[in-house]
Amino acid sequence: MRALLPPMIAVVPLHPSLPFSFALLALATTHPAAAEDLFADGESVPQILTATRLKQSPAAVPGSVTLLDRQLIESSGARSVPELMRLVPGMMVGYLSGNQGMVNYHGSSVSEARRMQVLIDGRSVYRAGLATVDWADIPVALEDIDRIEVFRGPNTVSYGANALMGVINIITRSPSESIGTRLKVTRGKRGVNDWYASQGFNWQDGDMRLSLSGLRDDGFDHDDEGNDFRDSTRANRFNLSTTHRLDAQQTLDWQLAAKEGTNQRPYNYEPVFDRLIPGGIAPGDNNSDVVARDYAGSMRWTFDMNPRHSLYVQGAAQHWDRNQEWVACDAALAFSPQLAELWSLNPVLTKRVFRLRPLPAGTTPREAELAQQVLQQMQEQVTTQQPAVCGDVNQNIRETRYDLELQDTYSVTDSLRLLSGAGYRREEVASETYFGGKLNNDILRTFAHLEWTIDPHWILQGGAMLENDRNSGESLTPRLAVNYLITPSHGLRAVYSEAVRTPDMAENNLDLRYEVSNLSPSVNGQNSAYYFSRVTGTGGLKEEHMRSRELGYNGLFSNLGLSIDLKLFREDVSDMISEAFTSDGYTPSNANSMSFQGAELQADWRLSASDRVRLTYAYVDQTATEDRDLRLSARNSGSAAWMREWAHGWSSSVIYYGADALNERRFERLDLRLAKRVRLGSANLQIAGVLQQRLDDEALTWKENLYDDRQQFYLSAELGF
Amino acid sequence: MRPSSRTSLLSATLACVAMLLVLALRGADAAEIILSAQDAPAVRQFTAALAAQRPEDQVRFVPIGELAIGTLPPPTTRLILIGEDALVWRLKTAIESPTLIMRVNRLEARRWLNGQRPENVTLLWNDPPLDRQLKLLRLLLPHVRRVGVLFDADSQHLLEPLRQAAAPLQLEIVAREWPNPRDSRPLLELLNDSDVLLGFEAPSLYNPLTAKSLLLTSYARQRALIGPNAPFVRAGSLSSTYSDQDDWLQSLDELLDQPPASWPRALYPTHFKVLSNPQVARALGIALDDDAELARRLAAGEHSR
Repeated sequence: MRALLPPMIAVVPLHPSLPFSFALLALATTHPAAAEDLFADGESVPQILTATRLKQSPAAVPGSVTLLDRQLIESSGARSVPELMRLVPGMMVGYLSGNQGMVNYHGSSVSEARRMQVLIDGRSVYRAGLATVDWADIPVALEDIDRIEVFRGPNTVSYGANALMGVINIITRSPSESIGTRLKVTRGKRGVNDWYASQGFNWQDGDMRLSLSGLRDDGFDHDDEGNDFRDSTRANRFNLSTTHRLDAQQTLDWQLAAKEGTNQRPYNYEPVFDRLIPGGIAPGDNNSDVVARDYAGSMRWTFDMNPRHSLYVQGAAQHWDRNQEWVACDAALAFSPQLAELWSLNPVLTKRVFRLRPLPAGTTPREAELAQQVLQQMQEQVTTQQPAVCGDVNQNIRETRYDLELQDTYSVTDSLRLLSGAGYRREEVASETYFGGKLNNDILRTFAHLEWTIDPHWILQGGAMLENDRNSGESLTPRLAVNYLITPSHGLRAVYSEAVRTPDMAENNLDLRYEVSNLSPSVNGQNSAYYFSRVTGTGGLKEEHMRSRELGYNGLFSNLGLSIDLKLFREDVSDMISEAFTSDGYTPSNANSMSFQGAELQADWRLSASDRVRLTYAYVDQTATEDRDLRLSARNSGSAAWMREWAHGWSSSVIYYGADALNERRFERLDLRLAKRVRLGSANLQIAGVLQQRLDDEALTWKENLYDDRQQFYLSAELGF
Repeated sequence: MRPSSRTSLLSATLACVAMLLVLALRGADAAEIILSAQDAPAVRQFTAALAAQRPEDQVRFVPIGELAIGTLPPPTTRLILIGEDALVWRLKTAIESPTLIMRVNRLEARRWLNGQRPENVTLLWNDPPLDRQLKLLRLLLPHVRRVGVLFDADSQHLLEPLRQAAAPLQLEIVAREWPNPRDSRPLLELLNDSDVLLGFEAPSLYNPLTAKSLLLTSYARQRALIGPNAPFVRAGSLSSTYSDQDDWLQSLDELLDQPPASWPRALYPTHFKVLSNPQVARALGIALDDDAELARRLAAGEHSR
């Protein structure tokens, strides 16, 4: 749970000379610590809100932060984190299918979201091998989330490489705030069927929360040809979160999380040699669903040495297990070694051979020889009329990450705080299909961040991270911010930061080939063989680089209850890896780049004790060298929400979401939530209904993502006692 | 800095005149004052300070144990008792001496008094007065409306006076019972329904054991806590009024100048200070005036009544 702390550059020596330190310590006397006084000094209370626990006020934060608090999360009626991200200015949300949400900050490709860090209580859920976040699989229930802090902008100093565009920091409810029992069920259209149960209890020196939850829905109803869309989600989750207060200074927190479920995928293998077999080749299966299991465990020891100095050590282990298996059928020819060799030499030529086209000029003698053999094999297939061969194919992958991090917070004086630390991460991936076996990586990281309140108006914050990635080399990323506080609650900021993203294992080491097992009938006397196509990465990729400049204003008008954050930005990503892999091949490079500039606004207005209005808007002007990177980026997007507490336990919220073009499709939706809270003795019952009305008539993100109608409705009942 | 000889001569003369005037006015009242409490250096030091403040009176210290077994002082002697033990002793001892009882808070005293109103006893409350705390809250946070208050069975009776004090300041009191401080649900609900918390000195609610969850939970929701007392401000509360030894000496001095018959049954010190936590204020983005200035403005408001 790293707090959204400061990122910056070490402008003051990290190991100041002695006289300098003494001078700073001398300034450190704060509270008028009176001599013993018969009346004013009652029972002594330990200092709780120490310099190490206090963070900057919103106006003094060195960057742009959106806080989604519990009220907002609940009022939105959202069932998943990506839907909540629509409340964050500049976040672009899309869907590949019903169970494949994509979230990008400002934009880029619609099929990959690999430039944002996502953390649950300080543990990254960004996959170790195939850099992405499986939103449908992250092992956390929305009901367990206390708040989500979204850092809009690069912040590798605090969060490590890959926090390139932004950071989504999910913070779960503390076990001490989860006492009692909560039960919730949600039922609705589109197969919505969710449940949640948690029990929180405590003892003398500790608290624990156990929660179990499930999520189900049918995804999209049909594709653009009217066929049923196989994209439903089923997930069950287990979470255990515990705090032990070892003594006044030490706390031990640990968590266990597990998730198992199925994400449906349509069967989409199309036999290459369908026309060589009379009557064609029947599909070998009716689905290629993914069985997804995630396991995570983490432990954090926090030691508050004194009010000015604290540190924590966090260790985490995480495992992603994706099983995707199906039966595929094709002619035995698909396993021909000659075909495999020809494909590896020249996929384009191979496709001409399939279509019986003449060989073009420039064909090498070896290619010609192989082409001749393949043609001959095709001829044999036609004459012998061998039946299709079927066998088991999989895209299974197991990824593991071990992470150990030390972070030290030292408040040198009331106006100077140093945050520093080091971390080690080991990443392992095992997949016969993707990598032909196992791969691993070791990453070492050290960082320091300094926060210097020069006077009541000026704050200078800066830091740097040095990371050594065994596969990609060393990188140093700095960050520097200057805040000018007009008053303690109104601040201007200027931020410069650099960040890197290290290529993931697939980008660098992809070796995608399918070994088909349990072949029936057998091929050349073998019951397993390699399918002919093989896609390999070129390796040798460098990191992507990002430079970001930001000017911002954050202010709280307490007389109006209005808080405003305004941001102007320019971001340039260079050495960008844009290529996607297809069956035809994969030639990733660092040749691309993209830039964003624009403005973002967020306003939160508590009109009265019972009314809250919240507005977000982002204007993003993007350029990119690769068209695919322009897809998931709306020039204009935003949200408007009105939440109200009525009398007698009624509450309502109305939220409008809009984006002018996400993957060329307009998105506009109006959500209405109405809830009634009833007290039943010592228990609280809440019944809530959510109605979502699409205001556009577009498909969602892709043309095949269609619902039967534009309205969604679900009801939930929650009992707490 | 040595004052010039002329200045010191003038000061000495003025002091003599003032002292003569004071003695002339107080002569009738000059009498014995016994200060009694559990023996402790701080109590002895306070006795000495009071003696220095009132040279016309014979101020002496008698430990509470000795007072209990010795001859009871005559009715002309004014007794100053310090602490809960002394209160308990006084309640069960038939004595005519006018008694001031210090360093007791309203909740503790209520438990011992149990509805009695003993004669010749004036209780000097040590907990900050709630209307003063509310005014401080108003000065620091001029725009808040909903003041969250935690209470338990012992402190429930304070809610009504609190509401009465809040109304003229356009503050609404939102109260939640917190019967079991290990169950934070009432606190979380209260933080949702209020803009700021006001703590009153209820040891069952505000103690070193509850401080951590109270302060961390309210800070995580960006809510300030006002009160309940100075030690809590050092722990992480935003601000509180309090009276230290000097304030009590002055307040006591004013009281002792009046005939005991006119002493009220209970009162708060007229002199006080403000203690704020500038680091907490900074983290909450709250502009803080200087503590002395805040105290001056509060005192000016009280005097103008």
